Amino acid sequence: MRFLLLLLLLAGCSKGPQADLQYISEARSCAAEWALVNQEAAHGKLTDAYVETMRKALRQQIGTAKAALTVPESAYGREMAALLSTPGDASPRELRVHVDRLRQIEDSLESA
Amino acid sequence: MNPLELTLGIMTAVGGFVDISELVFAAKAGSKFGYALIWVFAIATVGIMVFGEMSGRVAAVAKQPVFNLMRHRLGLKLGLVTLLASLIANLITCAAEVGGVAMILTYLTGAPFRLMAIVGAVVLMASMWVLPFTWIERIYGLLGLCMLAFAAALVAIHPPWQSIAGGFVPQIPAGLSTKELLIFAYFAVAIVSAVMFPYEAYFYSSGGIEEEWGPKDLPMNRITCTVGFGLGSLLSISILASSAQLFTPVNVDPQLLGSSALEVAIPFGTIGLLIALAGMLFAISGAAIETCMANAYSVSQFFGWKWGRHRKPWEAPRFTVAWVSFFTVALLIILTGIDPMQLVEYAVLFSILVLPLTYLPLLLLAGDKSYMGNYANGPFGKTLGWFYFILITLAAIGALPLFFLTSGGQG
Repeated sequence: MRFLLLLLLLAGCSKGPQADLQYISEARSCAAEWALVNQEAAHGKLTDAYVETMRKALRQQIGTAKAALTVPESAYGREMAALLSTPGDASPRELRVHVDRLRQIEDSLESA
Repeated sequence: MNPLELTLGIMTAVGGFVDISELVFAAKAGSKFGYALIWVFAIATVGIMVFGEMSGRVAAVAKQPVFNLMRHRLGLKLGLVTLLASLIANLITCAAEVGGVAMILTYLTGAPFRLMAIVGAVVLMASMWVLPFTWIERIYGLLGLCMLAFAAALVAIHPPWQSIAGGFVPQIPAGLSTKELLIFAYFAVAIVSAVMFPYEAYFYSSGGIEEEWGPKDLPMNRITCTVGFGLGSLLSISILASSAQLFTPVNVDPQLLGSSALEVAIPFGTIGLLIALAGMLFAISGAAIETCMANAYSVSQFFGWKWGRHRKPWEAPRFTVAWVSFFTVALLIILTGIDPMQLVEYAVLFSILVLPLTYLPLLLLAGDKSYMGNYANGPFGKTLGWFYFILITLAAIGALPLFFLTSGGQG
């Protein structure tokens, strides 16, 4: 029971890149989804209302993840900022460059 | 047994099975763990079949809805605690469903979210006011059958069927780190909760009484629960499998309700997208109504008020005020700006905590010969019932620590 309480406490108080890991993966996933939406939209498979709503919501999620970072001045913080300044209709390839970078950071933090 | 009634009952159960929590957790589970959580859906589905059948049987034979039993079996104090806990769980679930309706209307129209929340809630409340119980159940259940597009989409993307079949075998994927194991456990608990939501038993048993079921309806009850819920669960599994197939390779861990609709849009284009969104809209709308009504049924039955949608709204005034109030509060929660996806997490968490208290009195009564006579649980039903009771109790014990340790499954 004490061990569990300690774990809960640590989960709530941690700081640094390890604590940011969940926000990094959230942003990476949103960017990947944004790329997928743009890819399918380019093939004419989605409606305008759906595409706009998804882009707006995904951008908002990335913004929320960035705001929650404990180390905003970091490589991943800059990647998120770059994503937020990307236009909504950016090419899937451009978005996936950011996805790959965030994935690399995520993988290196997970294996650390 | 009228074959038309039976078919309609099954179709309604299929269309009404999926709600916002299942949509969200099935898509996330597929992208995170591939097919490895399919077995949890399968086991939880058998659980809801067992307790759904029991609640229908008790309604048909003992003519007692779940909350009546709860007060008699648990006593006033514990009954009141259970009532409060389930009201909170259902209210959060209802707010999440109202938020889900608003999100889908936004995907369809591009109109502002809050406006769509108000429009959606007004339309749903009007339909609850005007339509009799059977029609409410059938309209939303049958239109929810558009969700079958998810099953068709899975077939269209040619998934590895052998791997999907392998997912039905209970397993924990090899090579997971401790953190990943905890997330896997959190998802397993969340899926059990989402599939076995307590409002389903309240609504189903109260519906049986609304429709004046008797012992002659028991075969229909059994078939509807097993076939209807079973086929409904296949829709959730389709969403999970499509997510594993389409999202995992491109690094997507679905964060939004609209992500699921992509699973149908990718193989079928715009038409597929619109059918998927329509199916989600009606399935989630049906769930919003069910959660709200479940709360009104619970309060009315607990305090012995007149209740039921077979009466005109003014013939059961306190019941009517209850469901109107619950729906209005759910709408207000959404209008505060809280993220509906966050509410889904809380709904699942609260519901799993309430589940053991919901199903214990039902299990005791369904096995009590003095109430149920020849229709009491047999040895097989008792064994299954107690197995699931232990399972949901363990899930309830693990839910809170897992939620905090995994930041709600985020890692």
